[in-house]
Amino acid sequence: MNNIFKFSFGILSTLAFAWLAFVVGANLQYGDLSPESQILEDDGSRPPDAELFPKDMSGIAKQGAEEYLSLGCVTCHTQQVRLFTKKGPNGNRVIEAGIDIERGWGKRASMARDYVLQDHVMLGNTRVGPDLANFGMNENDQNWLHQHLFEPQSLVPDSICPPSPFLYEVSDQPKDGTISVLPPVGSSGDENKTRYIIPSIRANRIVAYLRALKQDYELPESPFVETDEKTIETNTTVIEGIPDWVNYPASPKALADISEQMSAGKEVYTKIGPGGGGCVTCHQPTGLGVPLAFPPLAASDWVKGDKDRLIKISLFGLMGEIEVNGVNYNGVMTAPGIPPGSLTDQQIADVLTFVRNSWGNSASAVSPAEVAEIRDSIKDRAPMQMWTAAELSSHSKQVQ
Amino acid sequence: MKETPEQVIDRSAKIVVSFFVASAGLWLLAAALLAYVAAAKLTDPFFLSSYEFFTYGKIKIAQANAFVYGWGGNSIFAVTLWIIARLSQVEIRGRILLLFSGVIWNMAISFGLLGILDGHMNSHEMLEMPTIVWPALFISYAIFAFLALVIHRSRKNPNTIAPQWFILASLIWFPALFLIAWNGLEINPARGTLPSVLSLWFGQSLIWLWLTPMALGAAYYIIPSIIGKAIDKYYLAIFGFWCIAALAPWSVVHHLEGGPVPMWIPAVGTVMSIAMIFPIAVASTNFHATAFRDIGKVWNNLPLRFVIFGTISYTLSSYIGVIFSLPDVAKLTQFSIINEFHFNQRVYGFFSMIIFGMVYHMLPKITGKEIGKSAKSFHFWTSAFGVLILLLAYLIGGLTHGVLAQQTSLDWSSSVITSVQPYFKITKYAFVILGLSQLVFVINVWKVIFPNPFAALFESDIEKKEKTA
Ligand code: HEC
Ligand code: HEC
Repeated sequence: MNNIFKFSFGILSTLAFAWLAFVVGANLQYGDLSPESQILEDDGSRPPDAELFPKDMSGIAKQGAEEYLSLGCVTCHTQQVRLFTKKGPNGNRVIEAGIDIERGWGKRASMARDYVLQDHVMLGNTRVGPDLANFGMNENDQNWLHQHLFEPQSLVPDSICPPSPFLYEVSDQPKDGTISVLPPVGSSGDENKTRYIIPSIRANRIVAYLRALKQDYELPESPFVETDEKTIETNTTVIEGIPDWVNYPASPKALADISEQMSAGKEVYTKIGPGGGGCVTCHQPTGLGVPLAFPPLAASDWVKGDKDRLIKISLFGLMGEIEVNGVNYNGVMTAPGIPPGSLTDQQIADVLTFVRNSWGNSASAVSPAEVAEIRDSIKDRAPMQMWTAAELSSHSKQVQ
Repeated sequence: MKETPEQVIDRSAKIVVSFFVASAGLWLLAAALLAYVAAAKLTDPFFLSSYEFFTYGKIKIAQANAFVYGWGGNSIFAVTLWIIARLSQVEIRGRILLLFSGVIWNMAISFGLLGILDGHMNSHEMLEMPTIVWPALFISYAIFAFLALVIHRSRKNPNTIAPQWFILASLIWFPALFLIAWNGLEINPARGTLPSVLSLWFGQSLIWLWLTPMALGAAYYIIPSIIGKAIDKYYLAIFGFWCIAALAPWSVVHHLEGGPVPMWIPAVGTVMSIAMIFPIAVASTNFHATAFRDIGKVWNNLPLRFVIFGTISYTLSSYIGVIFSLPDVAKLTQFSIINEFHFNQRVYGFFSMIIFGMVYHMLPKITGKEIGKSAKSFHFWTSAFGVLILLLAYLIGGLTHGVLAQQTSLDWSSSVITSVQPYFKITKYAFVILGLSQLVFVINVWKVIFPNPFAALFESDIEKKEKTA
């Protein structure tokens, strides 16, 4: 300890061991990973003419990565889908319900191979915002992305994703090629004005990058994982003979009929964005609504009862005084969907099936055909004209 | 009046150490301001949102760098020099060169931070400053480290003691870590997720092998010297030291649990993190068994009170860190704001508190001026209170964040983040308290370093009154 040279040698060698492992060792193990085909032959060789993944990003998307980096988006967004394994009953490793995958952040675990072609790998370590590793898989519409980048609060209530107005040219008149942005959700007064924006080249790069973020192919070490909770727990299959860290199950077949509608419906219910229903913003993830403002869907007779009535309000909305579970509400629900009234027959059938069978509700499924029939029967109704409770009860009598 | 050898050393330290302490103080204020802005942006995303310069991601990263390199770096320079000179019983030499390296260091960080805010950020943890400032940082540190080692080599007593081991190790580890990272990230960059592993390793090791040993060394120095008794169970210290040296570089990678890297990396990290309970226990026994022989002194002596707050915080935070490295817990909280808890706990609750104590201990000796008792005490209580609130908010908020994120039925923005929102609010207020507290610290320090030109006026005023009375 007294000789500074011996001392330095000692403390530097402890560091050198770690360096050998994490830098030299890891580099030897997987430093030469390269794109691979989605599946391999039984003998481990690559099928001839197979397409290789991951693919390189386009030039503009790569520039977008630089912009994304320079704005520090990585402080809140990770780009890695995790999947955990645990010891199974037979000493094998089986996967646990993958939270990231259930949240819809990807179809499988991210692997080192997914990143080999990226110049800036931004795995991140904090999720204040959702994971973006597969954000491009949502096929978000370009305008939505620009609106979100310009001002997330105009789309998502109370979002804390930082607005980037400095990437846009803003005017208050629509012009050629402008994108309209609504005022922040829930704002009022003077701010209540639509803005029209023109993206700068930097904004276009970022949007191209976000759309290019997808791990939508399978890799030999990481096949897709089924997302339904039940299937993950019960139908886990285990591949033996490959190292622990690549041991993920093959995809089990999805459960039949209603579970498909349930998961599609859940998506409509929770998705806040074009093509979604956004019911969750008002009726809450718990289905309990918000006292005095938004009525509950859980245990509601409106939900569990008459399908016709339910379909009608899902098509045109509802206003005026109503009674749900013995409590009076007097609110306004414009035709659900983003934009309003845009839900398809299939989506309405799915979301209604979902609300009729969640939070303790249990009622028959709704089919797209039933929705189509009702839509047809009231096709003369003025667009966006909301129902009132009184009108609904007289209406159903008239029809009978 | 003849000067004692200590006074000669202190006089040789006066300008250099004062320079480093004064600049450390300025960085501390800068970091406090940035921390407040970042926290305010989490509660109100429209706060300053129309300026690209102030976008959240940039502010957040600039804050961490200003805190670690600006405040941490400068205060390490100051404390290292003084303790090494005192323990070697020789004067500080090469003062011009030391000042020169300090100026370069501070300029490099200023440019680096401006670079970050201007959009030239790197993607490597704790190396986000643009690559062009790294050589300047490295060279200025190398000059400083070399001169500090020269002082150490000319020491009067050939036998070394615990504070010297820890401080010298921190002195040598930082450039070594830096070279490893620089080589692996810039000179021979690897592809894919390898640089991410390396930069995570660097960022965490920086805290474990640069800030931590430095603060531990300072604690080993100051506790016995104020209490006036030898360290209890001193023979354990060497074991604790080598445990940290051997385990810490391995343990930091547990943050990659479940990530796209070979599974052995986080697994090794977890095992080594658990083994870290030994060195933590050693340091904690050494410090607290010694200090608590004389509780009265800990309470009444302000520098010591700061240091003991730091060591207790070290013990607690390290044990909490071990718990959060267990795979089952890590799965829940790995990506939550618990990371902020760990960072602030180490860098603020532990490192900075010990440095505050050290500065209050050495400045009066160096400058020959006392710092007002109530001002110091105000600084202590606001700091202690602010840190406690901050850490509690991050801890509870982090658990909430982690647990709710697992509830896949909860919508991300409207349920998960909304539930964490109150904790963001609390941290915002905590940063206000801490900012105030740091302002008092800087005023305290600057007042003794830079003699107040108006002091003479006030003094004569008082004297006049006394005369008339
Ligand atoms: C303060 C942390 C924070 C920062 C910094 C941040 N975000 Fe976000 N981001 C969020 C939060 C919270 C959400 C969820 C709410 C929402 O959708 O707006 C989100 C959502 C998103 C979404 C929609 C994701 C989805 O699945 O619906 C995108 C795209 C996005 N952010 C892009 C970015 C980009 C690009 C940047 C960098 C300019 C960025 N974010 C910086 C917090 C952040
Ligand atoms: C903008 C907020 C909002 C959104 C989005 C929304 N609702 Fe509603 N919903 C309301 C309000 C308010 C009422 C009560 C209307 C009244 O008082 O007349 C209501 C009533 C209902 C009712 C009848 C009362 C009850 O609680 O059973 C049903 C069923 C319903 N909504 C289903 C849906 C579905 C399905 C969606 C998504 C496709 C949805 N809502 C989206 C606000 C909303």
